[in-house]
Amino acid sequence: MPKVTFITPENETITIENAEGTLMEIATFNDVDGIEGACGGVCSCATCHVRIPAEWQAKVGPASEAEQGIFDFMEEAGPDSRLGCQIEMREELDGLVVHVAGDEE
Amino acid sequence: MSMDPFAEGREGSGVLRVETEGAPVAMLLRMQDVRKAAKDWKTYSSDLAPDIVIHSEADVRSVRQLPIECDPPDHTDYRALVQPLFDRPNKDPEYKAEIETLVDQMVADLVHESECEIVRGFALPLQSKALARLLSVPDSEADVWIQWGVHVFYDRDEAETEKNPLEAYTGEMFRKAEENPGEDFFSHLNQLHFRGRPLTFEEKQGFANVTFAGGRDTVINTISGIFAYLAEHPETLQQLKQDRSLILPAVEEFVRYVSPLTAIARKCPHATALPDGSEVSEGNRIAMCWPSANRDASVFSNPDEVVLDRKPNPHISFGFGKHNCLGAPHARLILRSLLTSLCDRVDEIQVLKKVAKLEEESSFTRENGYEQLNVKLLGNS
Repeated sequence: MPKVTFITPENETITIENAEGTLMEIATFNDVDGIEGACGGVCSCATCHVRIPAEWQAKVGPASEAEQGIFDFMEEAGPDSRLGCQIEMREELDGLVVHVAGDEE
Repeated sequence: MSMDPFAEGREGSGVLRVETEGAPVAMLLRMQDVRKAAKDWKTYSSDLAPDIVIHSEADVRSVRQLPIECDPPDHTDYRALVQPLFDRPNKDPEYKAEIETLVDQMVADLVHESECEIVRGFALPLQSKALARLLSVPDSEADVWIQWGVHVFYDRDEAETEKNPLEAYTGEMFRKAEENPGEDFFSHLNQLHFRGRPLTFEEKQGFANVTFAGGRDTVINTISGIFAYLAEHPETLQQLKQDRSLILPAVEEFVRYVSPLTAIARKCPHATALPDGSEVSEGNRIAMCWPSANRDASVFSNPDEVVLDRKPNPHISFGFGKHNCLGAPHARLILRSLLTSLCDRVDEIQVLKKVAKLEEESSFTRENGYEQLNVKLLGNS
Protein backbone atom coordinates (compact mmCIF):
# COMPACT_ATOMS: atom_id res chain seq x y z
CA MET A 1 0.00 0.00 0.00
CA PRO A 2 1.27 3.50 -0.87
CA LYS A 3 2.85 6.00 1.48
CA VAL A 4 2.42 9.79 1.39
CA THR A 5 4.24 12.60 3.22
CA PHE A 6 2.72 16.00 3.99
CA ILE A 7 5.04 18.91 4.80
CA THR A 8 3.09 21.60 6.67
CA PRO A 9 3.74 25.36 6.45
CA GLU A 10 5.50 25.02 9.85
CA ASN A 11 7.81 22.43 8.25
CA GLU A 12 6.33 19.58 10.21
CA THR A 13 6.62 16.30 8.30
CA ILE A 14 3.80 13.81 8.58
CA THR A 15 4.08 10.47 6.81
CA ILE A 16 1.06 8.24 6.39
CA GLU A 17 1.63 4.58 5.56
CA ASN A 18 -1.01 2.51 3.75
CA ALA A 19 -2.70 5.69 2.56
CA GLU A 20 -6.16 5.25 1.06
CA GLY A 21 -8.60 7.76 -0.40
CA THR A 22 -7.91 11.30 -1.58
CA LEU A 23 -5.08 13.41 -0.17
CA MET A 24 -7.71 15.61 1.50
CA GLU A 25 -9.36 12.62 3.20
CA ILE A 26 -6.01 11.21 4.29
CA ALA A 27 -4.86 14.58 5.66
CA THR A 28 -8.06 15.41 7.56
CA PHE A 29 -8.27 11.90 9.01
CA ASN A 30 -4.71 12.29 10.29
CA ASP A 31 -5.15 15.90 11.49
CA VAL A 32 -2.61 17.40 9.11
CA ASP A 33 -2.48 21.13 9.83
CA GLY A 34 -3.64 23.43 7.03
CA ILE A 35 -5.92 20.95 5.26
CA GLU A 36 -9.59 21.45 6.12
CA GLY A 37 -11.64 19.92 3.34
CA ALA A 38 -14.59 22.10 4.36
CA CYS A 39 -16.75 21.19 1.35
CA GLY A 40 -16.24 17.46 1.86
CA GLY A 41 -14.21 16.96 -1.30
CA VAL A 42 -16.18 18.39 -4.22
CA CYS A 43 -13.59 20.94 -5.40
CA SER A 44 -15.42 24.00 -4.11
CA CYS A 45 -13.82 25.40 -0.95
CA ALA A 46 -10.11 25.16 -1.87
CA THR A 47 -9.18 24.46 1.78
CA CYS A 48 -7.11 21.41 0.78
CA HIS A 49 -4.61 23.32 -1.35
CA VAL A 50 -1.29 21.48 -1.78
CA ARG A 51 1.81 22.09 -3.84
CA ILE A 52 3.43 19.26 -5.76
CA PRO A 53 7.25 19.13 -6.00
CA ALA A 54 8.60 19.15 -9.56
CA GLU A 55 9.72 15.52 -9.44
CA TRP A 56 6.16 14.34 -8.71
CA GLN A 57 4.19 16.57 -11.05
CA ALA A 58 4.20 14.21 -14.02
CA LYS A 59 2.91 11.26 -11.99
CA VAL A 60 0.33 13.28 -10.03
CA GLY A 61 -0.86 15.06 -13.15
CA PRO A 62 -1.93 18.65 -13.81
CA ALA A 63 -4.83 20.52 -12.21
CA SER A 64 -8.21 19.71 -13.73
CA GLU A 65 -10.28 22.37 -15.46
CA ALA A 66 -12.38 22.79 -12.30
CA GLU A 67 -9.28 23.30 -10.15
CA GLN A 68 -7.64 25.63 -12.66
CA GLY A 69 -10.81 27.75 -12.77
CA ILE A 70 -10.26 28.39 -9.05
CA PHE A 71 -6.46 28.76 -9.19
CA ASP A 72 -6.71 31.37 -11.96
CA PHE A 73 -8.18 33.78 -9.42
CA MET A 74 -6.55 32.62 -6.21
CA GLU A 75 -3.62 34.77 -5.10
CA GLU A 76 -1.84 31.94 -3.30
CA ALA A 77 -1.96 29.48 -6.20
CA GLY A 78 0.88 28.67 -8.58
CA PRO A 79 1.68 26.25 -11.42
CA ASP A 80 2.46 23.53 -8.84
CA SER A 81 -0.94 23.88 -7.11
CA ARG A 82 -3.47 21.07 -6.80
CA LEU A 83 -6.47 20.47 -4.57
CA GLY A 84 -5.93 17.45 -2.35
CA CYS A 85 -9.53 16.32 -2.78
CA GLN A 86 -8.88 15.77 -6.48
CA ILE A 87 -5.89 13.45 -6.02
CA GLU A 88 -6.73 9.84 -5.28
CA MET A 89 -3.87 7.93 -3.66
CA ARG A 90 -2.69 4.97 -5.75
CA GLU A 91 0.28 2.55 -5.96
CA GLU A 92 1.97 4.66 -8.61
CA LEU A 93 2.15 7.54 -6.09
CA ASP A 94 3.90 5.47 -3.39
CA GLY A 95 6.38 7.78 -1.62
CA LEU A 96 4.65 10.98 -2.74
CA VAL A 97 5.64 14.18 -0.93
CA VAL A 98 3.35 17.25 -1.00
CA HIS A 99 3.59 20.68 0.62
CA VAL A 100 0.51 21.97 2.43
CA ALA A 101 -0.10 25.49 1.13
CA GLY A 102 -1.81 26.62 4.35
CA ASP A 103 -3.42 29.71 2.78
CA GLU A 104 -4.46 32.56 5.03
CA GLU A 105 -7.95 33.35 3.82
CA MET B 1 -40.94 32.23 -12.66
CA SER B 2 -37.50 30.84 -12.21
CA MET B 3 -34.69 30.26 -9.75
CA ASP B 4 -32.37 31.27 -12.59
CA PRO B 5 -33.67 34.33 -14.45
CA PHE B 6 -30.10 35.02 -15.55
CA ALA B 7 -29.62 32.35 -18.24
CA GLU B 8 -30.19 34.65 -21.22
CA GLY B 9 -27.91 37.36 -19.86
CA ARG B 10 -25.24 34.88 -18.87
CA GLU B 11 -25.11 33.37 -22.33
CA GLY B 12 -25.44 36.81 -23.95
CA SER B 13 -23.47 39.83 -22.75
CA GLY B 14 -22.61 38.35 -19.34
CA VAL B 15 -23.86 41.46 -17.55
CA LEU B 16 -27.35 42.35 -16.30
CA ARG B 17 -28.13 45.88 -15.22
CA VAL B 18 -30.42 46.42 -12.28
CA GLU B 19 -31.48 49.69 -10.69
CA THR B 20 -31.78 50.01 -6.93
CA GLU B 21 -32.80 53.22 -5.16
CA GLY B 22 -32.29 55.00 -8.47
CA ALA B 23 -28.66 53.88 -8.83
CA PRO B 24 -27.36 51.45 -11.46
CA VAL B 25 -25.73 48.16 -10.45
CA ALA B 26 -24.07 45.99 -13.13
CA MET B 27 -24.45 42.34 -12.17
CA LEU B 28 -21.75 39.95 -13.38
CA LEU B 29 -23.31 36.65 -14.40
CA ARG B 30 -20.49 34.31 -15.44
CA MET B 31 -18.38 32.18 -13.11
CA GLN B 32 -14.94 33.44 -14.14
CA ASP B 33 -16.05 37.10 -14.23
CA VAL B 34 -17.46 36.73 -10.71
CA ARG B 35 -14.31 35.02 -9.40
CA LYS B 36 -12.13 37.68 -11.00
CA ALA B 37 -14.15 40.48 -9.38
CA ALA B 38 -14.02 38.72 -6.00
CA LYS B 39 -10.24 38.57 -6.19
CA ASP B 40 -9.54 42.06 -7.53
CA TRP B 41 -10.35 44.26 -4.53
CA LYS B 42 -8.45 47.24 -5.87
CA THR B 43 -10.83 47.47 -8.83
CA TYR B 44 -13.91 46.12 -7.01
CA SER B 45 -13.78 47.45 -3.46
CA SER B 46 -15.71 46.27 -0.40
CA ASP B 47 -15.22 49.67 1.24
CA LEU B 48 -18.83 50.59 0.51
CA ALA B 49 -20.80 50.55 3.78
CA PRO B 50 -23.81 50.28 4.03
CA ASP B 51 -24.23 49.09 0.44
CA ILE B 52 -22.72 45.57 0.40
CA VAL B 53 -26.00 44.08 -0.82
CA ILE B 54 -27.61 45.52 -3.94
CA HIS B 55 -30.22 47.51 -1.98
CA SER B 56 -28.61 50.10 0.25
CA GLU B 57 -29.13 49.37 3.95
CA ALA B 58 -28.75 53.03 4.93
CA ASP B 59 -32.29 53.03 6.33
CA VAL B 60 -31.91 49.92 8.45
CA ARG B 61 -28.45 50.12 10.02
CA SER B 62 -25.96 52.78 11.05
CA VAL B 63 -22.83 50.63 11.33
CA ARG B 64 -20.26 49.33 8.88
CA GLN B 65 -20.54 45.55 8.85
CA LEU B 66 -17.24 43.88 9.74
CA PRO B 67 -15.20 42.28 8.39
CA ILE B 68 -17.21 42.28 5.15
CA GLU B 69 -17.37 45.99 4.35
CA CYS B 70 -13.66 46.76 4.09
CA ASP B 71 -10.61 45.86 1.99
CA PRO B 72 -7.17 44.50 2.86
CA PRO B 73 -5.14 45.17 4.91
CA ASP B 74 -7.92 46.15 7.38
CA HIS B 75 -10.06 43.23 6.25
CA THR B 76 -7.27 40.72 6.87
CA ASP B 77 -6.74 41.89 10.45
CA TYR B 78 -10.44 42.25 11.31
CA ARG B 79 -11.25 38.83 9.91
CA ALA B 80 -8.41 37.13 11.78
CA LEU B 81 -9.95 38.34 15.06
CA VAL B 82 -13.19 36.40 14.61
CA GLN B 83 -12.10 33.54 12.34
CA PRO B 84 -11.46 31.09 15.24
CA LEU B 85 -14.97 31.60 16.57
CA PHE B 86 -16.57 30.83 13.21
CA ASP B 87 -14.23 27.87 12.62
CA ARG B 88 -15.48 26.08 15.72
CA PRO B 89 -17.81 23.78 13.77
CA ASN B 90 -14.70 22.40 12.01
CA LYS B 91 -12.41 22.20 15.01
CA ASP B 92 -14.53 21.29 18.03
CA PRO B 93 -16.09 17.80 18.02
CA GLU B 94 -18.22 18.59 21.09
CA TYR B 95 -19.72 21.59 19.34
CA LYS B 96 -20.42 19.49 16.26
CA ALA B 97 -22.20 16.87 18.38
CA GLU B 98 -24.23 19.60 20.09
CA ILE B 99 -25.55 20.93 16.76
CA GLU B 100 -26.27 17.39 15.51
CA THR B 101 -28.31 16.72 18.64
CA LEU B 102 -30.19 20.01 18.32
CA VAL B 103 -31.09 19.33 14.69
CA ASP B 104 -32.02 15.72 15.36
CA GLN B 105 -34.32 16.67 18.25
CA MET B 106 -36.04 19.27 16.08
CA VAL B 107 -36.51 16.75 13.24
CA ALA B 108 -37.87 14.20 15.74
CA ASP B 109 -40.38 16.80 16.98
CA LEU B 110 -41.33 17.56 13.40
CA VAL B 111 -42.04 13.89 12.67
CA HIS B 112 -44.07 13.71 15.87
CA GLU B 113 -46.18 16.72 14.83
CA SER B 114 -46.62 15.14 11.41
CA GLU B 115 -47.82 18.40 9.78
CA CYS B 116 -45.78 21.57 9.98
CA GLU B 117 -44.99 24.87 8.30
CA ILE B 118 -41.28 24.70 7.53
CA VAL B 119 -40.18 28.33 7.07
CA ARG B 120 -41.31 29.88 10.37
CA GLY B 121 -42.22 26.65 12.13
CA PHE B 122 -38.89 24.86 11.66
CA ALA B 123 -36.15 26.64 9.70
CA LEU B 124 -36.32 29.98 11.56
CA PRO B 125 -36.21 28.45 15.06
CA LEU B 126 -33.50 26.02 13.95
CA GLN B 127 -31.33 28.82 12.54
CA SER B 128 -31.80 30.91 15.69
CA LYS B 129 -31.13 28.08 18.14
CA ALA B 130 -28.04 26.97 16.21
CA LEU B 131 -26.77 30.58 16.21
CA ALA B 132 -27.31 30.76 19.98
CA ARG B 133 -24.96 27.80 20.31
CA LEU B 134 -22.38 29.32 17.95
CA LEU B 135 -22.44 32.51 20.03
CA SER B 136 -22.55 30.60 23.36
CA VAL B 137 -25.64 32.40 24.64
CA PRO B 138 -28.71 30.78 26.28
CA ASP B 139 -31.61 29.46 24.17
CA SER B 140 -33.79 32.19 25.66
CA GLU B 141 -31.92 34.68 23.45
CA ALA B 142 -32.87 32.61 20.39
CA ASP B 143 -36.51 33.09 21.42
CA VAL B 144 -35.95 36.85 21.11
CA TRP B 145 -34.34 36.53 17.65
CA ILE B 146 -37.13 34.28 16.38
CA GLN B 147 -39.52 37.19 16.96
CA TRP B 148 -37.47 39.27 14.49
CA GLY B 149 -38.56 37.02 11.63
CA VAL B 150 -36.89 35.47 8.63
CA HIS B 151 -34.93 38.60 7.64
CA VAL B 152 -33.53 40.68 10.44
CA PHE B 153 -34.10 43.97 8.57
CA TYR B 154 -37.06 43.42 6.30
CA ASP B 155 -39.43 40.80 7.73
CA ARG B 156 -41.86 43.39 9.05
CA ASP B 157 -44.26 46.05 7.79
CA GLU B 158 -42.66 48.76 5.72
CA ALA B 159 -43.68 51.37 8.29
CA GLU B 160 -41.75 49.49 10.94
CA THR B 161 -38.64 48.78 8.86
CA GLU B 162 -36.67 51.66 10.33
CA LYS B 163 -37.45 50.53 13.84
CA ASN B 164 -35.54 47.30 13.43
CA PRO B 165 -34.38 46.08 16.81
CA LEU B 166 -30.94 44.67 15.97
CA GLU B 167 -28.56 47.51 16.82
CA ALA B 168 -30.29 48.34 20.10
CA TYR B 169 -30.27 44.65 21.03
CA THR B 170 -26.60 43.99 20.24
CA GLY B 171 -25.59 47.28 21.90
CA GLU B 172 -27.38 46.21 25.06
CA MET B 173 -25.76 42.76 24.91
CA PHE B 174 -22.26 44.32 24.73
CA ARG B 175 -23.07 46.53 27.73
CA LYS B 176 -24.46 43.60 29.74
CA ALA B 177 -21.40 41.52 28.87
CA GLU B 178 -19.15 44.29 30.16
CA GLU B 179 -20.92 44.17 33.51
CA ASN B 180 -21.07 40.38 33.64
CA PRO B 181 -18.40 38.89 31.39
CA GLY B 182 -18.88 35.26 30.35
CA GLU B 183 -17.79 32.90 27.61
CA ASP B 184 -20.24 34.30 25.06
CA PHE B 185 -19.71 36.13 21.74
CA PHE B 186 -20.39 39.57 23.22
CA SER B 187 -17.96 39.12 26.12
CA HIS B 188 -15.40 37.73 23.69
CA LEU B 189 -15.65 40.77 21.38
CA ASN B 190 -15.35 43.06 24.41
CA GLN B 191 -11.93 41.49 25.04
CA LEU B 192 -10.60 41.60 21.46
CA HIS B 193 -7.87 44.00 20.38
CA PHE B 194 -7.40 45.41 16.89
CA ARG B 195 -3.78 46.42 16.25
CA GLY B 196 -3.06 46.86 19.93
CA ARG B 197 -6.20 48.69 21.04
CA PRO B 198 -9.60 47.40 22.15
CA LEU B 199 -12.31 47.27 19.48
CA THR B 200 -14.48 50.38 19.48
CA PHE B 201 -18.20 50.08 20.21
CA GLU B 202 -18.95 50.78 16.52
CA GLU B 203 -16.58 48.01 15.40
CA LYS B 204 -18.16 45.51 17.80
CA GLN B 205 -21.60 46.55 16.56
CA GLY B 206 -20.35 46.02 13.01
CA PHE B 207 -19.24 42.46 13.74
CA ALA B 208 -22.50 41.70 15.54
CA ASN B 209 -24.63 43.24 12.79
CA VAL B 210 -23.46 40.94 10.03
CA THR B 211 -23.38 37.96 12.39
CA PHE B 212 -27.14 38.32 12.81
CA ALA B 213 -28.05 39.62 9.35
CA GLY B 214 -25.95 37.19 7.30
CA GLY B 215 -26.66 33.49 7.48
CA ARG B 216 -30.28 34.02 8.46
CA ASP B 217 -32.60 34.15 5.42
CA THR B 218 -29.89 32.29 3.49
CA VAL B 219 -29.88 29.27 5.82
CA ILE B 220 -33.67 29.40 6.09
CA ASN B 221 -34.13 29.51 2.29
CA THR B 222 -31.75 26.59 1.85
CA ILE B 223 -33.60 24.49 4.43
CA SER B 224 -37.01 25.19 2.87
CA GLY B 225 -35.52 24.54 -0.56
CA ILE B 226 -34.26 21.13 0.58
CA PHE B 227 -37.64 20.15 2.07
CA ALA B 228 -39.50 21.20 -1.08
CA TYR B 229 -37.05 19.39 -3.34
CA LEU B 230 -37.15 16.16 -1.31
CA ALA B 231 -40.95 16.30 -1.31
CA GLU B 232 -41.07 16.69 -5.07
CA HIS B 233 -38.38 14.03 -5.62
CA PRO B 234 -39.13 11.19 -3.19
CA GLU B 235 -36.51 9.02 -4.92
CA THR B 236 -33.81 11.49 -3.83
CA LEU B 237 -34.57 10.94 -0.14
CA GLN B 238 -34.50 7.18 -0.71
CA GLN B 239 -31.12 7.43 -2.48
CA LEU B 240 -29.68 9.40 0.45
CA LYS B 241 -31.09 6.90 2.94
CA GLN B 242 -29.51 4.02 1.07
CA ASP B 243 -26.11 5.64 0.61
CA ARG B 244 -25.13 8.02 3.39
CA SER B 245 -21.84 8.83 1.66
CA LEU B 246 -23.99 11.01 -0.63
CA ILE B 247 -24.84 13.41 2.19
CA LEU B 248 -21.64 15.50 1.95
CA PRO B 249 -21.81 16.07 -1.82
CA ALA B 250 -25.61 16.43 -1.65
CA VAL B 251 -25.31 19.35 0.79
CA GLU B 252 -22.90 21.10 -1.58
CA GLU B 253 -25.24 20.43 -4.47
CA PHE B 254 -28.29 21.79 -2.63
CA VAL B 255 -26.30 24.87 -1.66
CA ARG B 256 -25.36 25.32 -5.34
CA TYR B 257 -28.88 24.60 -6.58
CA VAL B 258 -30.60 26.97 -4.13
CA SER B 259 -27.81 29.60 -4.15
CA PRO B 260 -29.66 31.47 -1.42
CA LEU B 261 -27.80 34.77 -1.71
CA THR B 262 -28.53 36.46 -5.03
CA ALA B 263 -25.75 39.03 -5.10
CA ILE B 264 -23.03 40.87 -3.20
CA ALA B 265 -21.94 44.30 -4.39
CA ARG B 266 -18.57 45.99 -4.89
CA LYS B 267 -17.81 49.63 -5.57
CA CYS B 268 -15.50 50.75 -8.36
CA PRO B 269 -13.15 53.47 -7.02
CA HIS B 270 -12.31 54.38 -10.61
CA ALA B 271 -14.00 53.93 -14.01
CA THR B 272 -13.87 50.25 -14.90
CA ALA B 273 -14.46 48.31 -18.13
CA LEU B 274 -16.82 45.34 -17.82
CA PRO B 275 -16.76 42.05 -19.77
CA ASP B 276 -19.54 43.27 -22.10
CA GLY B 277 -17.43 46.25 -23.16
CA SER B 278 -19.44 48.79 -21.15
CA GLU B 279 -17.97 50.95 -18.41
CA VAL B 280 -18.87 51.44 -14.76
CA SER B 281 -18.42 55.08 -13.76
CA GLU B 282 -16.20 55.98 -10.86
CA GLY B 283 -18.05 55.40 -7.57
CA ASN B 284 -20.75 53.16 -9.05
CA ARG B 285 -21.29 49.54 -8.11
CA ILE B 286 -21.15 46.12 -9.68
CA ALA B 287 -22.51 42.92 -8.12
CA MET B 288 -21.41 39.31 -8.19
CA CYS B 289 -24.42 37.15 -8.98
CA TRP B 290 -23.76 33.83 -7.22
CA PRO B 291 -26.79 31.86 -8.48
CA SER B 292 -25.96 32.77 -12.05
CA ALA B 293 -22.29 31.77 -11.72
CA ASN B 294 -23.45 28.53 -10.12
CA ARG B 295 -25.40 27.62 -13.27
CA ASP B 296 -22.70 28.60 -15.73
CA ALA B 297 -22.85 25.79 -18.29
CA SER B 298 -19.14 26.16 -19.05
CA VAL B 299 -18.46 24.91 -15.50
CA PHE B 300 -21.47 22.71 -14.60
CA SER B 301 -23.08 20.10 -16.82
CA ASN B 302 -26.87 19.91 -16.42
CA PRO B 303 -26.75 23.00 -14.19
CA ASP B 304 -30.52 23.07 -13.61
CA GLU B 305 -30.56 19.58 -12.17
CA VAL B 306 -29.72 18.40 -8.67
CA VAL B 307 -26.97 15.80 -9.13
CA LEU B 308 -26.47 14.33 -5.65
CA ASP B 309 -22.94 13.12 -6.26
CA ARG B 310 -21.83 16.06 -8.40
CA LYS B 311 -18.02 16.05 -8.35
CA PRO B 312 -16.34 18.33 -9.05
CA ASN B 313 -18.81 20.94 -7.86
CA PRO B 314 -16.83 24.18 -7.72
CA HIS B 315 -19.85 26.29 -6.70
CA ILE B 316 -19.41 29.70 -5.11
CA SER B 317 -22.57 29.85 -3.00
CA PHE B 318 -20.40 30.81 -0.03
CA GLY B 319 -18.58 33.43 -2.09
CA PHE B 320 -15.01 33.24 -3.33
CA GLY B 321 -11.64 34.43 -2.05
CA LYS B 322 -10.83 36.63 0.93
CA HIS B 323 -14.41 37.53 1.78
CA ASN B 324 -15.85 34.03 1.53
CA CYS B 325 -18.57 33.25 4.03
CA LEU B 326 -17.30 33.13 7.62
CA GLY B 327 -20.39 31.18 8.61
CA ALA B 328 -19.93 28.47 5.97
CA PRO B 329 -18.67 25.79 8.42
CA HIS B 330 -21.68 26.46 10.65
CA ALA B 331 -24.12 26.38 7.71
CA ARG B 332 -22.60 23.16 6.38
CA LEU B 333 -22.85 21.54 9.79
CA ILE B 334 -26.53 22.47 10.10
CA LEU B 335 -27.35 21.18 6.60
CA ARG B 336 -25.36 17.95 6.93
CA SER B 337 -27.03 17.28 10.28
CA LEU B 338 -30.43 18.00 8.74
CA LEU B 339 -29.98 15.54 5.87
CA THR B 340 -28.65 12.91 8.29
CA SER B 341 -31.64 13.27 10.62
CA LEU B 342 -34.11 13.28 7.73
CA CYS B 343 -32.54 10.03 6.51
CA ASP B 344 -32.76 8.55 10.02
CA ARG B 345 -36.31 9.56 10.78
CA VAL B 346 -38.32 10.33 7.64
CA ASP B 347 -39.62 8.13 4.85
CA GLU B 348 -41.55 10.64 2.83
CA ILE B 349 -42.28 14.34 2.72
CA GLN B 350 -45.52 15.62 1.20
CA VAL B 351 -46.15 19.27 0.37
CA LEU B 352 -49.55 20.50 1.55
CA LYS B 353 -49.11 24.12 0.53
CA LYS B 354 -46.28 26.21 -0.81
CA VAL B 355 -45.83 29.86 -1.60
CA ALA B 356 -42.56 30.70 -3.32
CA LYS B 357 -40.63 33.77 -2.18
CA LEU B 358 -40.02 36.18 -5.02
CA GLU B 359 -37.25 38.74 -5.27
CA GLU B 360 -38.61 41.38 -7.57
CA GLU B 361 -36.01 43.71 -9.00
CA SER B 362 -36.10 46.25 -11.84
CA SER B 363 -34.78 43.81 -14.44
CA PHE B 364 -35.50 40.35 -13.05
CA THR B 365 -37.66 38.37 -10.67
CA ARG B 366 -36.08 35.44 -8.90
CA GLU B 367 -37.65 32.62 -6.92
CA ASN B 368 -35.60 32.18 -3.75
CA GLY B 369 -36.92 29.86 -1.05
CA TYR B 370 -40.45 30.03 0.28
CA GLU B 371 -42.72 32.43 2.13
CA GLN B 372 -44.67 29.44 3.33
CA LEU B 373 -44.12 25.71 3.01
CA ASN B 374 -46.56 23.36 4.72
CA VAL B 375 -45.53 19.73 4.71
CA LYS B 376 -46.63 16.40 6.07
CA LEU B 377 -43.87 14.04 7.19
CA LEU B 378 -44.22 10.30 7.16
CA GLY B 379 -41.84 8.84 9.72
CA ASN B 380 -39.84 5.67 9.37
CA SER B 381 -42.21 2.77 9.72
